[in-house]
Amino acid sequence: MRTDEPMPVAAGLFEGTGSAARLIGTRCTSCGTHYFPKTLSCRNPQCLEKATQDVLLSREGTLYSYTVQHYQPPALFRMADWAPYAIGSVELPEGLRVMGMLTGCEPASLTIGMAVELTVETLYRDEQGREVQTYKFQPRAAQEQTA
Amino acid sequence: MRPVYVLGAGAHPWGKFPDKPQLQLALDALGGALRDAALGWRDLQGLVAASSRFEGGMGWGLHANEIVQAVAENGIPASNVGGGCAAGAIAVQTAFAMVASGQADIVAAVGAERMPKGFIPRPPGSASDITDNDYLRWVTMGATNPAYWAMETRRRMHEHGTTAETLALASVLMHRNAIGNPLARYRKACSVAEVLASPMVSDPLHLLEICAVSDGAAAIVLGSEAQARKRGGQLMEVAGCAIATGQFGDPALRIPNVASPAHTATPHTSEVVGAVQRALAMAGVGPQDIDLLEMADNTAWHLLAWPELFGFYEAGQGDWMLARGELDIDGRCPVNPSGGFLSSGEATTAQGVLQVCELVWQLRGQAQGRQVQGARLGMSAVLGLGANGASVILKT
Repeated sequence: MRTDEPMPVAAGLFEGTGSAARLIGTRCTSCGTHYFPKTLSCRNPQCLEKATQDVLLSREGTLYSYTVQHYQPPALFRMADWAPYAIGSVELPEGLRVMGMLTGCEPASLTIGMAVELTVETLYRDEQGREVQTYKFQPRAAQEQTA
Repeated sequence: MRPVYVLGAGAHPWGKFPDKPQLQLALDALGGALRDAALGWRDLQGLVAASSRFEGGMGWGLHANEIVQAVAENGIPASNVGGGCAAGAIAVQTAFAMVASGQADIVAAVGAERMPKGFIPRPPGSASDITDNDYLRWVTMGATNPAYWAMETRRRMHEHGTTAETLALASVLMHRNAIGNPLARYRKACSVAEVLASPMVSDPLHLLEICAVSDGAAAIVLGSEAQARKRGGQLMEVAGCAIATGQFGDPALRIPNVASPAHTATPHTSEVVGAVQRALAMAGVGPQDIDLLEMADNTAWHLLAWPELFGFYEAGQGDWMLARGELDIDGRCPVNPSGGFLSSGEATTAQGVLQVCELVWQLRGQAQGRQVQGARLGMSAVLGLGANGASVILKT
């Protein structure tokens, strides 16, 4: 691996960057339920076959709820220049709610039901100087304005 | 199945006890419960302990074994049960089942905990990759437990118009109730303004709207009808006792998951709702018959939402019930006369047992300073990691 290439905070979680960023999940081909991250099996008790395959999830969804964390989380979470930041739960068309950091707007302008989309941003640089990235959600309108 | 009765209850005060090992806390609580039952260590026919990940248990969660080795090497069965923050109530349920089945006539359940400070850290033993949600929630977004609860709270504000003042009022009620509870850690009244002036932790939840972590221990001794009659006094039956796990599609933001399929038809917090429904069915009563509810108020949001989820009243009514004083000790639906988690702080695995102790004292009329007058039927409800729910109903 090239050492200057950004790396995801956990392998197998997402792929691509910017408008090509996609979360990697699992779809049960028997009952149609989607999961994130990838799972070993389908959790639906009515589903007997539980045949699953990896899928890329929708990039766009709506904000189900959100919060702003004012205290720095334990050390397992790393972020350069820590400051209070927003976390949201986003409803995807697949019937799945996915939590993630929110970016691209002031916390005061967040509203439940707003249209958001996936993006990928750098959290920090590791000891080798590589950028470590996570997935986030940003307002859809804000993204169009800056495009 | 034969009926099961409460023989004794005992608890160590909640707080921080740096000079007292976890085992000592357990022995204090259990010794108190046995004295209350007018029994000795040699009378115990079985012991069930809540397994803790924080201290004691020889690293394998063998907390009941440590206790029998410390005070009563009688050859009795020792069971250790896990269930995260619901482990204490699951221990009560296991003890209940041992007596109900006729395997034993006198069985104790105990939960004892010394907690580390601050946000609860990730436990060891899981792979640091996408197979572990507790790893992912930290590294991808640093989602603390309050962040999950805060998003539930924000959603409630959106759906029901709950205000910051109403949330603060729930905390005010818990702190006022705790003044009458010698076991509680925070026993000072506070005002809505003080709650709202406390530091913002995870917007919209302030520090005084989120439970702290504490040390504490509680124990219950259960027995057969013959044993209960031998003790004398008013019989107190375990009328309902149930545990449950979560249901597929539960819309709750479940710690530590980062994502979940959400179905509106599935009950929110289904593990606790499921346990409550089973306990009510077992007791043959409905929510309207319950004289007091002791429930896990990890935050002010829980106090508003949970009684609604259990069917005590309609969704969204909690704000009105609270503002009208109906959740007060002398209200129509007293919730946490003990002061709850917000006033005791959470000693995780001990909490589910302490709730049952409080029901015992309330139904006996021994809850001086916080007594619900004429209480005959009390219910507990608690949630634990791994989608564990538990509920106990006591009846006199």
